[in-house]
Amino acid sequence: MHKVLLLLAVCWVGVATTALADCRVHRGQHVVLYSTTDDPSVLMWDSRARLREYHAASFDVAQAMLPHALLVSPGTHADVLACISSNVVSPLFLSPDDAVGVIVTSGSLRGVARWVLGSDVRLMHAATHR
Amino acid sequence: MQQAQIDMEELLRLQIDEENSLRGYLLTHDPFYRSEYRSAVAGYDATQSAIRQTLQSQHLTTSGKLLADYTHLQDEWRATVARPLLAHPHERLQELDKRNKLFSDYETLTAGAIRRQLASTGEQLARSTQVQLDRSSYVRAAWVLVFGLLAIVFNVYRSRLNRELEEERAVTKILQRAFRSESIPLPHCEVGSAYLSATSHIAVGGDVFDVYRLSENRALLLIADISGKGVDAAVLTAFVKFMVRAIALRDSAPAEILSEFNVVLAKAVGDPYLFASMFVGVLDTDTFCLTYASAGHDAAYLRGQDGVMPLKVTGPVLGVMEEPFGTETVELEAGDTLILATDGLTEVRNPAGEQLFDQGAMELIAEASPEAQPLADEIVAKVRAWAGRSVPDDLAVLVVRVLGPEAAHA
Repeated sequence: MHKVLLLLAVCWVGVATTALADCRVHRGQHVVLYSTTDDPSVLMWDSRARLREYHAASFDVAQAMLPHALLVSPGTHADVLACISSNVVSPLFLSPDDAVGVIVTSGSLRGVARWVLGSDVRLMHAATHR
Repeated sequence: MQQAQIDMEELLRLQIDEENSLRGYLLTHDPFYRSEYRSAVAGYDATQSAIRQTLQSQHLTTSGKLLADYTHLQDEWRATVARPLLAHPHERLQELDKRNKLFSDYETLTAGAIRRQLASTGEQLARSTQVQLDRSSYVRAAWVLVFGLLAIVFNVYRSRLNRELEEERAVTKILQRAFRSESIPLPHCEVGSAYLSATSHIAVGGDVFDVYRLSENRALLLIADISGKGVDAAVLTAFVKFMVRAIALRDSAPAEILSEFNVVLAKAVGDPYLFASMFVGVLDTDTFCLTYASAGHDAAYLRGQDGVMPLKVTGPVLGVMEEPFGTETVELEAGDTLILATDGLTEVRNPAGEQLFDQGAMELIAEASPEAQPLADEIVAKVRAWAGRSVPDDLAVLVVRVLGPEAAHA
């Protein structure tokens, strides 16, 4: 029993370490939401699974999922709650992207926690921190 | 491929124009932006059609499907986002914005995927073209190198061969000149001679003639054509000349000279493939009686008042068999001319391939100058003219013109 627990602990540490090591942002960091697509608004998803499904799905499926998303204006501030490295895969991506859990710290959606794509978050400089 | 990439950038620009025109209209309600939107739509449709044709012609099926999705998305965006907003610019709804975002994301990513594939295919094409160019360049360079080396080797070999042949030709000509008789004056006669060397190096060979006074009133007249060419044949001419002289000094009957020389030739030279045609005459310079024997030598003529006639052959060529040779006697008169030549006279061909033969040679002699040396020179000149650019064989000409006893007193 001890051995199994030890093995699980090692696995968890390994996965967590890898995820943390490769993530573009880390818990507690202040970020700005800004999309790299032609529309810089950012979709925020109510679960990490939904974020993943949205990017992996066909257009029609993705469209059907839109009620589960919130749209925030570009430049909205947020704090990082979690980051899972290379967690979002899409046939249209060159490489997998991170899944980042954030809590909005500005605007009308202040205090709302959601999941966003790694490429939609930009680290804020120290001078712009609240 | 490059044009497709350029068109793809243009398509994205037009798509942004569509969206910006829509945004401009929503913000200002200015009809100008509506017309801008329409022209962007028209440009977008034309450009995507051009890209689709390029992708089909290049068999880029994956990119073709992506473009179809992309076009479908744009159509849907127009139907579900753009047109409702153009119709009701005051009613911007949250769901409509989210849908706009969805379209934007998909289109951006799809366009990125198409661009990547176009770039990758372009690079692949450029790489494979470069490889083929490199390969063909290497092969071409290798061939040039091989042919260059061969040409150098061939030129060196040819130069050496030419030099050797030139040297041999020079030696042969020196030998011929050394062993050929100078014009020896004969009483009551005029002697002329001429020699024409073959233009080909390997054809210079064994023609020999000689005029030798055996006594006060007897002269040996010799002309021969020895088989073989080059230095060996030229050396043999010396052997022929002095051996015939030696035999003639002992026995001046022409047939006996030929018979004895025939035996000596076989024994002394020892070459079973060697043969020679020879005309030996002994001229009495007092009576102008010519006795001669001809071992297969048919280029001998007598020009008299009745025209030109050939002197008949009296036996086979030397070196073939031991047979007795006949002797002929001709009584010459003042003005008669004896013309002895080698086969370079009768066998010469003009550029059209026509051979001179005996008849031509006799016509040529008949028309030539009466004096001995000009006659010999004319024969050579006419043979050279008949042959054209190249003289295939040597030609020796010996001319003896009887002047008569009065000439001596004159």
